[in-house]
Amino acid sequence: MSEALVRSDPIPAGPFLGRDASLKAAPRLARYVLRARASAAVEKVLGAQIPTAIGGFANGVACLGPDEWLMFASDGRESPVDESGSVSVTEVSDRSVGIILEGARAAEILATGCPLDLDHFAVGRATRTIYETVEIVIVREAMDRFHIEVWRSFAPWLWTALTTAATE
Amino acid sequence: MTGYRLPTGGRIDRATPFKVRFDGRSYSAFAGDSLASALLANGVQLFGRSFKYHRPRGIVGSGSEEPNALISVTRGPGRFTPNLRATNVEVYPGFEAESQNRWPSLRFDFGAINDRLGMFFPAGFYNKTFMWPRSFWERLYEPAIRRMAGLGKSPTEEDPDHYSATYAHCDVLIIGAGPAGIDAALEAASSNQRVILIDEQDEAGGGALADPALWPWLARSMKALAGMPNVTILTRTTAFGYFHDNFIGAVERMTDHLADIGSGPREKLWRIRAGEVVLAQGAIERPLVFDGNDTPGVMLSSAAKVFALRYGVAVGRSVALMASHDSGWQDVFAMAKAGVGIAAIIDVRDEVDADLRAQAEELGIAVRLGQSVIGVRGRHGVTAIEIARNDGGASSTLACDAVLMAGGWTPTVHLWSHSKGTLAWHDDLGAFVPDVPAEKARCVGACAGLWNFGQGLTIDALPTPKDKARIKAFVDFQNDVTAKDIRLAVREGFRSIEHIKRYTTNGMATDQGKTSNLNGLQIASTALSRPVTDIGLTTFRPPYTPQTFGALAGHAKGSLFQPTRKTNIDGWAEENGAVFELVAQWRRARYFPKAGEDMLAAVNRECRMVRSSVGIFDASTLGKIEVVGPDAAEFLNRMYTNPWKALEPGRCRYGLLLKEDGFIADDGVSARLAPDRFHLTTTTGGAARVLNMMEDYLQTEWPDLNVWLTSTTEQYAVIALQGPNARKVLEPLVEGIDLSAEAFPHMAIREGLICGIPTRLFRVSFTGELGFEINVPSAYGRALWERIMAEGARYDITPYGTEAMHVLRAEKGFIIVGQDTDGTVTPFDAGLDWAVGKKKPDFVGKRSLARPDLVASGRKQLVGLLTEDPNHVLEEGAQIVADPKQPIPMTMIGHVTSSYWSETLGRSIALALVADGHHKMGEDLFIPMPGKTHVAKVSSMIFYDAEGARLNV
Repeated sequence: MSEALVRSDPIPAGPFLGRDASLKAAPRLARYVLRARASAAVEKVLGAQIPTAIGGFANGVACLGPDEWLMFASDGRESPVDESGSVSVTEVSDRSVGIILEGARAAEILATGCPLDLDHFAVGRATRTIYETVEIVIVREAMDRFHIEVWRSFAPWLWTALTTAATE
Repeated sequence: MTGYRLPTGGRIDRATPFKVRFDGRSYSAFAGDSLASALLANGVQLFGRSFKYHRPRGIVGSGSEEPNALISVTRGPGRFTPNLRATNVEVYPGFEAESQNRWPSLRFDFGAINDRLGMFFPAGFYNKTFMWPRSFWERLYEPAIRRMAGLGKSPTEEDPDHYSATYAHCDVLIIGAGPAGIDAALEAASSNQRVILIDEQDEAGGGALADPALWPWLARSMKALAGMPNVTILTRTTAFGYFHDNFIGAVERMTDHLADIGSGPREKLWRIRAGEVVLAQGAIERPLVFDGNDTPGVMLSSAAKVFALRYGVAVGRSVALMASHDSGWQDVFAMAKAGVGIAAIIDVRDEVDADLRAQAEELGIAVRLGQSVIGVRGRHGVTAIEIARNDGGASSTLACDAVLMAGGWTPTVHLWSHSKGTLAWHDDLGAFVPDVPAEKARCVGACAGLWNFGQGLTIDALPTPKDKARIKAFVDFQNDVTAKDIRLAVREGFRSIEHIKRYTTNGMATDQGKTSNLNGLQIASTALSRPVTDIGLTTFRPPYTPQTFGALAGHAKGSLFQPTRKTNIDGWAEENGAVFELVAQWRRARYFPKAGEDMLAAVNRECRMVRSSVGIFDASTLGKIEVVGPDAAEFLNRMYTNPWKALEPGRCRYGLLLKEDGFIADDGVSARLAPDRFHLTTTTGGAARVLNMMEDYLQTEWPDLNVWLTSTTEQYAVIALQGPNARKVLEPLVEGIDLSAEAFPHMAIREGLICGIPTRLFRVSFTGELGFEINVPSAYGRALWERIMAEGARYDITPYGTEAMHVLRAEKGFIIVGQDTDGTVTPFDAGLDWAVGKKKPDFVGKRSLARPDLVASGRKQLVGLLTEDPNHVLEEGAQIVADPKQPIPMTMIGHVTSSYWSETLGRSIALALVADGHHKMGEDLFIPMPGKTHVAKVSSMIFYDAEGARLNV
């Protein structure tokens, strides 16, 4: 067997420096979609508290819907295992890539294509939304920093759109 | 006074003079001028030709209400903008514009013959005259009318500019930065709310810009607003539409006013969601309707005041006012004080406020009460007017070079009406005023009918002793509608203002009736002898003023037009010379030509190699859905036509998905990974649709099922390895999976490692050969592809594209949903009876499959076609007939859905939907094409290896 396979990602590692904002690829992450009728079942599987209100984000887990959570973990972490049959765990680590949008104009740049009222999107919240026609998940990590998740094949388009907006 | 520029006054910057060009001639201008004010200052009165009669036209208004002075601005290749209002266009050094709708020149226009023949062009003329013969319409009438009647020319070059867009949110959005809007903004801003104040002009102020007494207040107020962090001020921004839930579309013009446009965006689309909308759009003065009221030099009184006090321009040396409202008197008083010569004030009313009369006397202005203008002399500009007493008596002539119309005021309720707010008629104002809001919105200032312009008389047209059928008293200047056109519409039986509008074109198109709506309504009301409230008001539609396509597109042009989705392996394909095609939003390699190969040669080679050795194909775009939960099998059993509950873990099954109507919606091979976990695949284009459909059923029909769906399309890169040598290529790379035929049969799935990476390895085939589909986490797709290419080199492994894939599957009679089906094909029509579980109690679409029409004979059914000439490849989409000798139009019994050259078989093959096709096996059918009718024999859809011997190896 020859050397290990090399990963290739759809966007440059960055950083891209715009006017009062920068963009870069987020570090590699493990991602899981967790579905269950009750949050308690998920907490049992993870052994950690998770947010129960839609839009909440805690312990690397975003609550995206009434029965839907998106979990981020450092790369290499073992997949959560459910033995009760009440939690659906699906690995989606490579489904999306993360983009870190940072700087004084971060919210302004995201608002060029995202219809959310970001003034009312507090630090520590997460949600699924869109940038123009493309579905994204955003996590506000700080007033001036967003983690943006986008499906892999849409990432180059989003990167171009955001870097274009960042230079305007 | 130089030309018509007043010696002092105005907000123009007299220290910054420059030249502008209009129709090739050079004129002087100052910074702060509009094109209208600059040309008026140079004595220009003629700005354009009218839409239908090609009558000479001048300036009527001073802002976006201007109906006449539409011009085209040129600023280099691709930067040509037609139909701009000269009153809204800011000039800069080197500015260049031209007039429209005239040939060969503005002063001598050939089309003006229409005006002489005007009596032959009444309202509805086009509808009545060009009806017959019908065949003349497309070839003769329409092109001719288009040439004659028109606005500016469409640009023909690609627009080199780029455009920006954004969303914005605020608590209070104020549209219109006149005194009322500025007051509203100050009030809202002081309570710490997020405020956006927008105005279409180059500076905030609205009516205050033409009132020097308010300038100190204006400067103070704007300075205060500009200093507040919670206030955003957008000038040169037009709110063009008001949509549901306080969503307002606005366009900011960023570079059109600059001599050097730089490299920034030309315009920016603002999509604003507001807590509350305050409409402070003001009011537009109403013209008066009299013979010759469209002569250049006849304009709104308020506009003349704006030109005098904001731009320092006299619209004439001897200016007459025709008023039915006090506001005109105030305007000419202010103009007289600014140095404009006033010829006389004529007022249709017998009585006017004594105070106004006293002021007129003090300023030495002659006043004529109870009189009306009944005619205008001069063709390219006013030279004199005819005046008559309303109670009869002799007419007299008054020399003048401009006539101002003061016909009262119409609140600008366009945006209010877009939002579906209701209107109420106010007799005292003679106008519709905003009444009950439909959104969280309110109107302030003149827009709400709250103005201090004085009193007026509301009349439909000025009294005249002339024959009303022979005069040209215009109502809608932009669409060339006269008072007699509206009366004609009423005589011809139109009663609703909506019908009158469409018959006469009053208030249509880019103008949206800004100056014409109320006068048109009054005239219809008089002609029908019914109050205006019984006739109604026409609907205002967005946009308030025309907007560029560029602004509405925003960023969505060029590479940002829409996402082009690429797989992880796409880069390899590009570097290796692939020719691509778009499938939904995905870019897929269609074929990989070698030097000197055309598509056919490349596809033939690719097919040959798959059948004889091994081919490699990027199948990453296939839709994938992970179905997890204790009820996963039950759920799939209800969704798909065939049984799923007995499928063992480790095995795959072909799934056929119907819509409720029983027609094929999608298909794909799916695998059971564990009792409670399935890996579904869908067609590339159907991925999102299938997930939505399944989620819809799960949430609305079977919420009791414990099963969840997750899209995993992009989680995996998928490499299909197909051909007799596929196993040999794979073997050295795989760990933990026994690839032998016994341990890993066709239609099975195994999990293990490939090149050290976890894989879901499918043994499936869309080619009819021994085949594997290797799923690995997406980021490894390209590296794995390259490793397999290296491993397969000794077998001449050949990358193949979607075209060879199509040929290979057609040879096996595998359908492509959406190509061989069209949304009206049942499983039985497609010959897929075997995939329908006869014993299943239910599945989506089952009930429809028993409907009489779906079991009737004569339905179109999918069959194979073999042409008599084996070298002829039929055209996909070609129609099929049973008898080529029947008279035209022939009865078409079907069409070709797929057709290829099959290198494997050394002949052409085709699939076709043919009425009752399953019962036509062996029959000859005919495909008439230009020049030749082709003969083809109906055959089985499986052209190659019918027994499947090549699969089970």
